[in-house]
Amino acid sequence: MADLANIVAVGILLGGIYALVSVGLNLIFGVIRIVNFAQGEFVMLGMYGTYAAYTFLRVDPYLALVVVLPGLFLFGAIVQRLILAPLRTEPTMQIFATFGLLMLLENVVLALTRGTAYSVTSVVAQTSIGIGGVQVGLVRLVALAAATGVAVALGLFLKHSMLGRAIRAVAQDRSAARLVGVNVDRIYMLTFGIGAALAGLAGCLLTPIYTLSPQIGTSFILPAFAVVVLGGLGSVLGAYIGGFIVGLTEAFAGYYLDPALKHAVLFAVFIAVLIVRPSGLFGQVGAEEVGLRDQS
Amino acid sequence: MTGATFAQRVAAIAAAFTLTAGAAAAQDLKIGVVNPFSGGMALYGDEMTRGYDIAADQANAKGGVLGRKVVVLRASATNPQEAIAAVEQLIGRDKVDVLSGTYVTAIANAASEAALNNNKLYWETNALARDLTDRGLPNFTRTGPDSTAFARRSVEGTLQLVIPKLGKTAKDMKVWIEHEDSAFGTSIAKEQERLLKEAGVQVTLGSHSARAVDLSDSILRAKNAAPDLWLSTGYVTDHNLLLRTAREQSFRPAAMMLVGTGDTFETLESVGKDFLNGILLVSYPRADVSESFGPGAAAFLAAYRAKYNRDPIAPQAMSAFVGFKILLETIAAAGTTDYEKVIATVAKADKPLGTYETGYGLKLDKTMQNTRALPVIAQWQDGHVKAVFPKEAIAPGGTMLDLGRK
Repeated sequence: MADLANIVAVGILLGGIYALVSVGLNLIFGVIRIVNFAQGEFVMLGMYGTYAAYTFLRVDPYLALVVVLPGLFLFGAIVQRLILAPLRTEPTMQIFATFGLLMLLENVVLALTRGTAYSVTSVVAQTSIGIGGVQVGLVRLVALAAATGVAVALGLFLKHSMLGRAIRAVAQDRSAARLVGVNVDRIYMLTFGIGAALAGLAGCLLTPIYTLSPQIGTSFILPAFAVVVLGGLGSVLGAYIGGFIVGLTEAFAGYYLDPALKHAVLFAVFIAVLIVRPSGLFGQVGAEEVGLRDQS
Repeated sequence: MTGATFAQRVAAIAAAFTLTAGAAAAQDLKIGVVNPFSGGMALYGDEMTRGYDIAADQANAKGGVLGRKVVVLRASATNPQEAIAAVEQLIGRDKVDVLSGTYVTAIANAASEAALNNNKLYWETNALARDLTDRGLPNFTRTGPDSTAFARRSVEGTLQLVIPKLGKTAKDMKVWIEHEDSAFGTSIAKEQERLLKEAGVQVTLGSHSARAVDLSDSILRAKNAAPDLWLSTGYVTDHNLLLRTAREQSFRPAAMMLVGTGDTFETLESVGKDFLNGILLVSYPRADVSESFGPGAAAFLAAYRAKYNRDPIAPQAMSAFVGFKILLETIAAAGTTDYEKVIATVAKADKPLGTYETGYGLKLDKTMQNTRALPVIAQWQDGHVKAVFPKEAIAPGGTMLDLGRK
């Protein structure tokens, strides 16, 4: 029984990490309707930004958010304006461009670090809490809380703020949004910036857990795609719930079957869900055309 | 000046240039090094090659080899395809006499075959997989330990160091063997399993992907088995994640032993010295081994510090230094760089353990693997790595800490 409780806890905490990484990816897909292959690299940049702040400014990894979040927002906005906007009539080429960006960012960081693995320490990272035989790392608990907070805040922002309404309007029908005076190009730029900033947030909160390597972004992107497809393309709630589905599937398969098989099991579930419900659990049919769900 | 005279003069000048260039080329003994000098493994590719550079400097200070100055030329390869291109560049453009390397087995594999296609020697100092020598390439030899030697040393450490320290017998000793699931980790783990079972130890095997985002399942499975020793083979990032997760999950077996990595500042920075204290490491001999075990190790450390103004990043450098030194000695003894003659010469070598800085001797088996190149067991002690096994390797005043995970 203690084993089961432990595995459920591990799965939920891992789900929190996946949800955190995936929310920004799904927002970008929902609004701009491109699959951003470079989202994992944005997380990686967030991690290295945190490391730089920790090393040079001597600030705790969590305080690095103050620098990293605006930095990634700005970077995302610039990428959208300089790379993706000129390709707006070529959606397929936009996807290839994000793949090119993935390779570019990974290799630039490889060249700068020469592959040295860096880590940061935080008091939080060394603390774990025992609850009835279940051991929980505080740093993972923080990530879970942040994922929950981000999902709720993003939902509220999209529903109630003026900018959020404009984003939803663009997601639902960009031509109609333009007709009523929404600056669609600006919304695209801001959305991509917000998506990149969310990746930066994930990077900051995950830095105390992982050893930094330039390839770490690609380790996140595969499960993140599983999360958004399972949860529902374009749905913030879907990305949140999808994170837990993927986290729990991996934890159960890894513990009860074999850690080497957990990705095989995850993608078997992924294919099964796609066959039964092609739009994912919380997505709506034709999401690639419709974009972000109204209920998000 | 007549036309004929002018032509003769041009020809004479051209001939003189050719002779000069030829003489200059003949003066240098060019050794091409294939390693990752860019990308994720550049740190270790560089570190190994620093060992070569020190060995070349020392040889040149004594007048070179065969009366020629030793020159180390680098070509970067991060995968097998690039390895072939690197060999072709070194042979075609740089006109190297022999080739050496390598940090990565897959690169060594391709580079040595490309060298054979060009009738050149490939002198391996570091890559680990047993398969490299099992191929039987006629231009290939390895001076450093292979994966089997790492597995054997870890089992020796378990039987002769850990079991007595824990007051156990082999039959009531439980070992969890964890390994990353590529050929590197799997080959070492299988050999460990075989040898430990032979000794009557209870063994459970667990594997993980080195690229996994989460390894809690691997740690929980091991924790559930309650082993006396957790014995793990992996790369830097997965070992760091496993150790951090072990700390998070309060997994503290009586002893922990890491094979291959976990002995550098990268792990110290990630996990912290408190949790690492007492953890054993199976690794290349380091420069802190005793002088009676590795004569000249202190001098190597001094040379490294003088040249690079810091301590070695990883123990691979000294193993590479020794391998390169053996290469130069062998070329001098053979009187040529012709691979058949160099291989024939090194095949006859018979030097006892403790001949070189790493404690290596030199005696090749029929696959051209050095049977007298053995890793050592070290231990994390208050943020430093100290050799603790075999006992001859322990530096004066050194000792082994308790294994207990406090």
